[in-house]
Amino acid sequence: MSNSTTIHTSATEKIKTVDEVLEPVLNPPPSIEIENVTVSFKTASGVYTAVKEISLTVRKGEIVTLIGHSGCGKSTLMGTISGMVKQSGGTVKANGKPVTKPGPDRGIVFQNYSLLPWLSVYRNIYEAVDAALKDKPSSFKHELAERNLKMVNLWAHKDKLPGHLSGGMKQRVAIARAFAINPSILLLDEPFGALDALTKSNMHVELLKLWNLDHREKTIVMVTHDIEEAIFLSDRVVVMNDGPAATIKEIVDVPLPRPRNKKTIVHDETYMAIHDKLMNLLIDKFSIDDIE
Amino acid sequence: MKKLLSIRTYKPLLYFMAGIALMGGIWELISWYTKYEIPSPRMTWTVLKEVMQNPMQDDPDYKGIGTKLISSLTRVGIGFGLGSLLAIPIGLLMGSNKIVMNIINPMVQILRPVSPLAWFPLGLAFFQDSPKASIFMIFICSLWPTLINAAFGVSSIPQDHKNVGKAFGFSRWKYITRIMLPYSLPHILTGLRLSIGVAWMVIVAGEMLSGGIGLGYFVWEEGFNGGSVAKILVAIIIIGIVGLLLDMIFIGLQKRFTYAI
Repeated sequence: MSNSTTIHTSATEKIKTVDEVLEPVLNPPPSIEIENVTVSFKTASGVYTAVKEISLTVRKGEIVTLIGHSGCGKSTLMGTISGMVKQSGGTVKANGKPVTKPGPDRGIVFQNYSLLPWLSVYRNIYEAVDAALKDKPSSFKHELAERNLKMVNLWAHKDKLPGHLSGGMKQRVAIARAFAINPSILLLDEPFGALDALTKSNMHVELLKLWNLDHREKTIVMVTHDIEEAIFLSDRVVVMNDGPAATIKEIVDVPLPRPRNKKTIVHDETYMAIHDKLMNLLIDKFSIDDIE
Repeated sequence: MKKLLSIRTYKPLLYFMAGIALMGGIWELISWYTKYEIPSPRMTWTVLKEVMQNPMQDDPDYKGIGTKLISSLTRVGIGFGLGSLLAIPIGLLMGSNKIVMNIINPMVQILRPVSPLAWFPLGLAFFQDSPKASIFMIFICSLWPTLINAAFGVSSIPQDHKNVGKAFGFSRWKYITRIMLPYSLPHILTGLRLSIGVAWMVIVAGEMLSGGIGLGYFVWEEGFNGGSVAKILVAIIIIGIVGLLLDMIFIGLQKRFTYAI
């Protein structure tokens, strides 16, 4: 064997090693991989197919919203990622692993807060952390609950019952609870749907702040039917067809730079173009002239 | 603060007094109509004061009214306590498991409409002891409302609450103690409230049959057999007030454990 071959081999190996290190950085593995997913339910009047053969890949750190009319199966699709809904066909992977049930790598925020009304704000978060991170010491779990509650500025209200909080505060507790288990994927099912427009607007900024604090490493999938909300928050907006057997109608990119500003973004031309496009995709009646 | 002594504060009290006055008026009218065969409120009051002397008297030949009341309450307490101890877990199990529900429900539906008094001779045959038969009767009739309400409570846990348990991977124990029990507690308390009401109603009838020391026997022996209608009325008043107090305890508990969402 000549000397040069050895050198050559070791050089290739070095490059290979460097590639291996760089690979996940340059080409992060997809956070969520949905392939050919179909969800059908048995009902009294036969089999109902909610979503049909949907494929979607979400990168790590990406914010994606699913938008569509009520009952188009967007919540169902998200349920397959969280593990709350079992798909009848296709595969769903989260962080490379097939989803079979809910897990601590995925935090869920439900539409109607879903806080337990008999537990204080603090206990609501602590019990969830305690259940999700079973093996961690209790002091660590208490610290997590405290830190996350402080993060949403609700530490002063920690001993209150959810019934004594406003809608916005309840949703902040629900978000803190989802963040507290430190999931790599955050799934939000119409999280701001029940809030008034002003509170909602604040919550958008707060959510992005939390995402930023976390170095934009969390992947967020959100279900909504609010176009402005979808554009302001996301990197991509997935527009769904009406169910039954809903599919993806179109995926719209939102190449707006971050951090985004609520006030100025609406005057941005790209924003306006995306807004128009989404309106056209979702709405078919714009004035009384459009009603036959 | 300045409204503290306004008429509004006393309104409920005034309504209550008006109700009592109306009842007294009707009573008075009936006594007058029956030519005081039914004693008037005033006459009953005199007897009440008489009965109330030495209420805790506990001689072998005569027991005071308080002693009788406590004896009745003890029977109700034991029967109701044992019944609830059995009804709550079975109800919770029925509510959380369809199979258990389907097996036990027919049994409940058949036994529930049976008059509590029908259980008395059965208890007597089994225990050969009339106070125990009364307790047995209370035990049986305390079962159904608690059982049914506990089962209903668990089976109506909102999907939202279940989702929380599912999403965060609650263990079975955590699910039971943090979701199932707190949610069904107000329902269980409703059941207990209905049960104690029935139990208190039934004990009077039971003691009439069984004799011994108690309010029921007081009504029968000293009232009816003793020829004192006033004593029957006194007993009715005492039974009514105690029943109201028992009910109020459970209303208080229900309020304490009901949560706004």
